[in-house]
Amino acid sequence: MNKLKFLWGLCLACVLILVPLHQWQASPQTALETLAVQLEGRKKPLDTVARETVAAVHGSARYRPMAGDLLDAQQTYWSLLLNSRDWNDEPFVLVNYRPLKARLGLPLEQKHFSFASLVNTDLGAILETAHQKELQNQDLTREDREALTLEDRLNIMLTTVGSQTLPIIPHPSDIKGTWVGIAEAHQLYPPALAERVRTQFDTLQAQYQAHGDDLSRLTAAATDLHQTLASLSPEIYPSPATLQREVFFNRFRPFAKAWQLYAIAFLILLGGQLISAIDLYWSVMGMFMGGILVQAFGFGLRMQIGGRPPVTNMYESVIWVGFGIALLAFCLELQTKARSYLLAAAPLTVLCLLLADSLPAVFDASIDPLVPVLRDNFWLSVHVPTITLSYASFALAMGLGHLTLIQYWLTPGGNARAKTLARLNYRVIQAGILLLTTGIILGGIWAHFSWGRFWGWDPKETWALIALLCYLAPVHGRLGGGLGNFGMSVASVLSFNAVLMAWYGVNFVLGTGLHSYGFSTGGSTQILGCWVGVDVLFVLVTMLRYRAGRRSESVLTTDVQLSEPVLTVDAQLVDTP
Amino acid sequence: MVSKITRFLGSIKLSVPVLSAIAIILIWATFYESQVGSLTVQQQIYKSPWFGALMFLLAVNLGVSTLSRYPWRGPRKVGFALTHLGLIVLIAGSAAVIHLGLEGLLVVRTDQPANHLVRVDGELLEVMDDQGQVQQATVVVKPNQVISPQKFAGLSLLDYREQTIETLEYHEGGSQPNPAIRLVLSSDRMGKTIDQWLSFDSQTSQTIALGPAQLQLRQAEDQATLQQLLANPDQAHGGQSGQLHIDLADTHSTLSIDSLRRRDAVLENNIHIHLTDVWPDFRLDDHNQPMTASPEWRNPAVQLDITQEDNQERWFVFAQAGLEPIQSVLAGTSALELKMRYQVPPPAATDYFRVIVADRQLYYAARSTDQFSSGPLEQGQTVRPGWADFQITLTDWLSHAQIDRQRISPEGEQGVPALLVATAEGHQHWIPWGESTVITQNAGPVIAAFGPRMLALPFGVGLEDFIVERNEGSEAVAMWTSQIRLADLQTAETQQRSVWMNHPTWYQGWKIAQASWNPGDLNQSTLQVKREPIWVTALTWSGALLTVGGIGVMFYGPSLWKKQVALSSLRVEVPEHPQDSTDDAVPVALVAQD
Repeated sequence: MNKLKFLWGLCLACVLILVPLHQWQASPQTALETLAVQLEGRKKPLDTVARETVAAVHGSARYRPMAGDLLDAQQTYWSLLLNSRDWNDEPFVLVNYRPLKARLGLPLEQKHFSFASLVNTDLGAILETAHQKELQNQDLTREDREALTLEDRLNIMLTTVGSQTLPIIPHPSDIKGTWVGIAEAHQLYPPALAERVRTQFDTLQAQYQAHGDDLSRLTAAATDLHQTLASLSPEIYPSPATLQREVFFNRFRPFAKAWQLYAIAFLILLGGQLISAIDLYWSVMGMFMGGILVQAFGFGLRMQIGGRPPVTNMYESVIWVGFGIALLAFCLELQTKARSYLLAAAPLTVLCLLLADSLPAVFDASIDPLVPVLRDNFWLSVHVPTITLSYASFALAMGLGHLTLIQYWLTPGGNARAKTLARLNYRVIQAGILLLTTGIILGGIWAHFSWGRFWGWDPKETWALIALLCYLAPVHGRLGGGLGNFGMSVASVLSFNAVLMAWYGVNFVLGTGLHSYGFSTGGSTQILGCWVGVDVLFVLVTMLRYRAGRRSESVLTTDVQLSEPVLTVDAQLVDTP
Repeated sequence: MVSKITRFLGSIKLSVPVLSAIAIILIWATFYESQVGSLTVQQQIYKSPWFGALMFLLAVNLGVSTLSRYPWRGPRKVGFALTHLGLIVLIAGSAAVIHLGLEGLLVVRTDQPANHLVRVDGELLEVMDDQGQVQQATVVVKPNQVISPQKFAGLSLLDYREQTIETLEYHEGGSQPNPAIRLVLSSDRMGKTIDQWLSFDSQTSQTIALGPAQLQLRQAEDQATLQQLLANPDQAHGGQSGQLHIDLADTHSTLSIDSLRRRDAVLENNIHIHLTDVWPDFRLDDHNQPMTASPEWRNPAVQLDITQEDNQERWFVFAQAGLEPIQSVLAGTSALELKMRYQVPPPAATDYFRVIVADRQLYYAARSTDQFSSGPLEQGQTVRPGWADFQITLTDWLSHAQIDRQRISPEGEQGVPALLVATAEGHQHWIPWGESTVITQNAGPVIAAFGPRMLALPFGVGLEDFIVERNEGSEAVAMWTSQIRLADLQTAETQQRSVWMNHPTWYQGWKIAQASWNPGDLNQSTLQVKREPIWVTALTWSGALLTVGGIGVMFYGPSLWKKQVALSSLRVEVPEHPQDSTDDAVPVALVAQD
């Protein structure tokens, strides 16, 4: 019966993954989308270039121009490339750092600005100081870094609008040779061939001018151009399957599908908590499994496209942590059938994937070649996944901690559910400690090879250790008898802030140290700070309620023991199946 | 009493505060680091004795708690012991890595012989007395300007400044004739006054650049030179394409490029020189072909075909200092015994104010974009050179100038680091970084030098080739690889190795790894050279293994053990051994012991 329910949930998930059905068919724009471009160190379909460009400059995948309908990334990109709008005045460039807007004298509430309005500000002066600092190896302020990011956006605009140099002409012989744009085709090919490409591109352009943003009308012209380009250098030009795989990955958006499934599962679970008449537990498990499968499928595709483990930047690590939380919760749930892990895991996974999916300006999803220090090594593929899995464990523990605290909120004296949850939580913390210790040590071994020392107090190293200590201290406190179930739950919520700092804060808040390939700008530190603040407040209030509850209890029973009896908890732990 | 202390040292009551204290200190340290930089934090915190003591306390706590729980029966206790002992080993190993490792940076170049001097953190003060005896000391400057050692080789080390510049003070009273002048430039419109001394002491004090304009002090030995220096340069201009200086055996010849353009030159020994190409602003294009980036004579280069009998060579000669000519044999065999230098006159400053000293009399020549004037110059005289509303006044003229040098550290100005020392008599001297300074004292003069601390390797490292791989179609670096030659200094034995990121090489116990590179100069590579005693590596690695294994056994051993026992008891139908169940309940026992 349970298996049937499970299968039913899984099937439902599969249906949700499979619809809409047209995502599995080639779109009419395939020829256009799969034009290969050599950019940022790899060959990729134009579809990816379009999405990355629009996301990098505009901060989202769609753009509503001053006049006309909402454009998707493809339409926006073609409009940029063929300069079919007044891109000087379209408010297209994202500026979201308020101090920078204030400094430039821009309206604070506006998010997008036109190229012209940005160029006519003091940005040049700010950039000059920032570049000066870079040259002198001085530390950059947040404002400097944001200004440099804005400079990148403006540069992308400059190089994209009306570009004749987009490298779509393959190199004739060298697999790693530099591709050139339409205008430079004659450098690589005889004049007749170069002229043919030119004419076909002109036809495409004429078609575009005739039909506006309706890209499906370009199919014939794009197919001709695509075939010619592929025939120029068949050995070098990526195969249709490779290009289509990436286009499919872009369109299928497996990570978005995954969070939707987790979210539905969570809502059903939540409903089940309120209405206990219908038992949907196993169906939810099935659906959750569907989410894990589609996410794993997404990882598989991403690994094939990038040719490396997907754990090298903030975006990938956020997705990976989301995956870790889901997988860990599912496995533990399967083992214990405690009916609590999924409830704790689902909102966190959804949060991770949703953030990664909806903030392309903060979490850059593009698949780029690795920097030298991350390249060609075994340790990357073991150290980073281990560390991020430990973060996932601690995130799950944080979720369980919240559930436990909610129980204590409802019954300040604690109840059976709270005790069970605390026991589950402890197991997850144990797993996290093992994984984090292993991850830190693996990192040390890698550092031994790469930087020449096992340990050097680099901020990322130090914060990983701090995070570990923040869990070790309460675990020892628990063994020493000073900390009970309630204390452990509080610790699992509070200590997660150390993980957040190690994971996110070192890159976005401190911005120093050797792990600089993870650094970035645009992280909304204030929002995260507020979130943490609210959470800490919740913990404090729960603590007060708990204290008050215990005091009244002790008055009633004249029980002088302050903490819960640890012996019973341990006995329970030992007894867990 | 002793047992009480031991019990406390091994108790959880000590571990929780110690762990918390370490966590809090580390949190503070990382934030502090983002303000003051890694080096300071490393010195003030991570390598400090008190932090070491705290880590030692943690190790003691771990050790005593582990030993006091002996015998370790059952998987949980075994895991507990393994973890804690492993951590002690790991802490010891990590401390040894930080404190005992020798580490430095080695700069190697393809165009230079093997290098065996490694730059190590810290500065070195070397003092040589008049007998030639050299004493060396490592100078460490702590962030609060405390210098260690405080005294060395009879000198007191008083102060250290990161940015210092030398100031010169001029006054009359030298024994030799040494003209020096002081000019005051003022502009009301810009609200600016510039006060500048010029003298013949160095190149830099003869010509002072002020934005697009220059102040110059020149000497005219004879009337002809004087006239030339006073003339309007527009009439004297020409020959911007420069000259080739050719040394052949012991004859020297100079050929102007302009004349070479018109006709070939024939030198001694029937050497025939034909100019094939000139690039005023030399670059290599995307296809590695020479091109000129602009018509300006910024970075000129010429290509010459040189023929001597049957031998023919092609030469690329560059005007930029430091770039050696590139020669390739086109025909024949022997390389020609020639030395060639290409010199281009520096672009003439469009605006200048030139003061000329000629036979105890001063003259001036002032030029701006649209004006030129010249004439005699008297002390107190004011000239308007035509640079906006600037006027220049000659306020001082010393014929026998004496110069006092002083070193100051002005706020916000770039300079060189310097160390202030005092002799036994109390005379103070600044020793600038990277220079040697003569210090006179009653005990006899000494030469003191303050510079980088270097470590001599027992072998030399030469750079054979530096290969930069880039990502396809982009400038971003995919990998850089140094192909190095390791030469034993004793046996002269050499070996070829390659090092690249994450792939160091080991030689005679030293690890050589790729550290960084200079994007502007691909002939250079910086390697990290490190030596770590083998037992240190062994300590960290075994500590790591023990810890991870221990945690695994501690957390998951008991349940696996229990399952194992349950399985075997089912198989042989023997009731569960009572000992095992107590083992599983170790945390209970632990708590009870505390």
